[in-house]
Amino acid sequence: MKGLLIKDFRLMKVQRSFLILMFAVGVGLALFTEDGTYAIGFPTFVISMFTVSTISYDEFDNGNVFLFSLPITRNGYVAEKYCFGILLGGAAWLLSSAIVLIAGIARGTGALTELCFAAGVDLPVMLILLAVLLPVQLKFGGEKGRVALLIALACIILIGSAGIKIADMLHMDIAALLDGMPVPSLGAVLAAAIVIALLLLAVSMGISTSVMKRKQL
Amino acid sequence: MLEISGLTKRYGDFTLDCTMHIEPGRITGLVGQNGAGKSTVFKSILGLIRTDGGSIRIFGKEQGELTISDRQKIGVVLADSGFSGYLTVSDIIPVLGNLYPDFDRQYFENQAKRFELPFRKKIKDFSTGMKAKLKVLAAASANAKLLLLDEPTVGLDVIARDELLEMLREFMEKDEERSILISSHISGDLESLCDDLYMIHAGHIVLHEDTDVLLSDYGLLKVDEKQYAGLDRQYLLRVRREPYGYSCLTNQKRYYMENYPGIAIENGSIDETVTMMVRGKEV
Repeated sequence: MKGLLIKDFRLMKVQRSFLILMFAVGVGLALFTEDGTYAIGFPTFVISMFTVSTISYDEFDNGNVFLFSLPITRNGYVAEKYCFGILLGGAAWLLSSAIVLIAGIARGTGALTELCFAAGVDLPVMLILLAVLLPVQLKFGGEKGRVALLIALACIILIGSAGIKIADMLHMDIAALLDGMPVPSLGAVLAAAIVIALLLLAVSMGISTSVMKRKQL
Repeated sequence: MLEISGLTKRYGDFTLDCTMHIEPGRITGLVGQNGAGKSTVFKSILGLIRTDGGSIRIFGKEQGELTISDRQKIGVVLADSGFSGYLTVSDIIPVLGNLYPDFDRQYFENQAKRFELPFRKKIKDFSTGMKAKLKVLAAASANAKLLLLDEPTVGLDVIARDELLEMLREFMEKDEERSILISSHISGDLESLCDDLYMIHAGHIVLHEDTDVLLSDYGLLKVDEKQYAGLDRQYLLRVRREPYGYSCLTNQKRYYMENYPGIAIENGSIDETVTMMVRGKEV
């Protein structure tokens, strides 16, 4: 796995300017907005998504065929992609959280609770994004992957709309239902979100492994 | 080292049906036209495609049972695939160093300099020759026991081909237990390099012979109608109609030289043998 990780970190050089720009945007957001969720989330999501680009770089010019003739396994390849995504996204998340914290202190508006909430929301979202995008990219590749994602998004919107319609037809007040639910502590909600995101990531990794095992190169 | 028994793979109308043995200490060539099934054989050996039957044993193990450590003893060059074009030679050195525990970094760097491969240029901007040299060099530097080389010389000029073949000879000289399976549709490359040759046509192995035997015992008899009528045909492998009469492939050239001094007999080159095996009729 170490060899593959080195390859992916070396591939980051290709997008060096883009990654530096995203980091600069993150710093800008931290300095000029007070929305911590956005200031941490934007660079975290964009930078972690580079993992998906490394799959495209691997596939470039039929490169996958050679890659899988090297002493690696398909399971190992999938594990490395998730590991790389978590490392990259995690580093971006930590760094942007630190910048937002420093910017908040410098501005004199830095409330630690708000920062923890913002950072705590962005981390599971980043993990869920990886969990969705990695198997789609491995299964469909670049072009088809984008179409598959749009279809998946359309399906989610359609299911959501249908749910609301059905609730309306059954005269259910979803907002009232949510308001009536017991309010757990913020920490518990975030911890639950992270656990759910990690579970989704594990399921996603299983799907990706199965996709790669079936792939004929 | 490598045993392929009754390997079958179907793609629509095409069926690969192949049995081959690659012995330790030998360079075995696989020669055939484009589309004959050479790359399918390589992909099957490497487990890149699912096969429909037969068995592939490498180092005494079934292909599917190979461990990472076994696969670290195999160096690979594929004709239509290589390192990501976005990487540089400098990038792939630590990658190979981590994938192959016996990777000879010093040898790799020295040879890369000798071949004038730029270390900091993206591989996608390399010339065809540079890409081919890099692929063979990477495979040879892994200190592997078995090299699987699918068309490593494709698209190369004569000098670059010669340099690559020299590198392969050096690879073999370092350890007498090493083996190479190399495919090419340029038979001249294989003639000077290989100990034995398999000829593949339309997915089937049509001939397996030691290169020395092929070059010394195989020949083409050029005969007219009358000579053909009086010819002992028991040592003829293939016959082909020609404007002057018949062209006949034999694996007993001396027999005909001694018993039919009047007929024209040419030494069998690999190209001619392949052509006759493919286009000629069985006797």
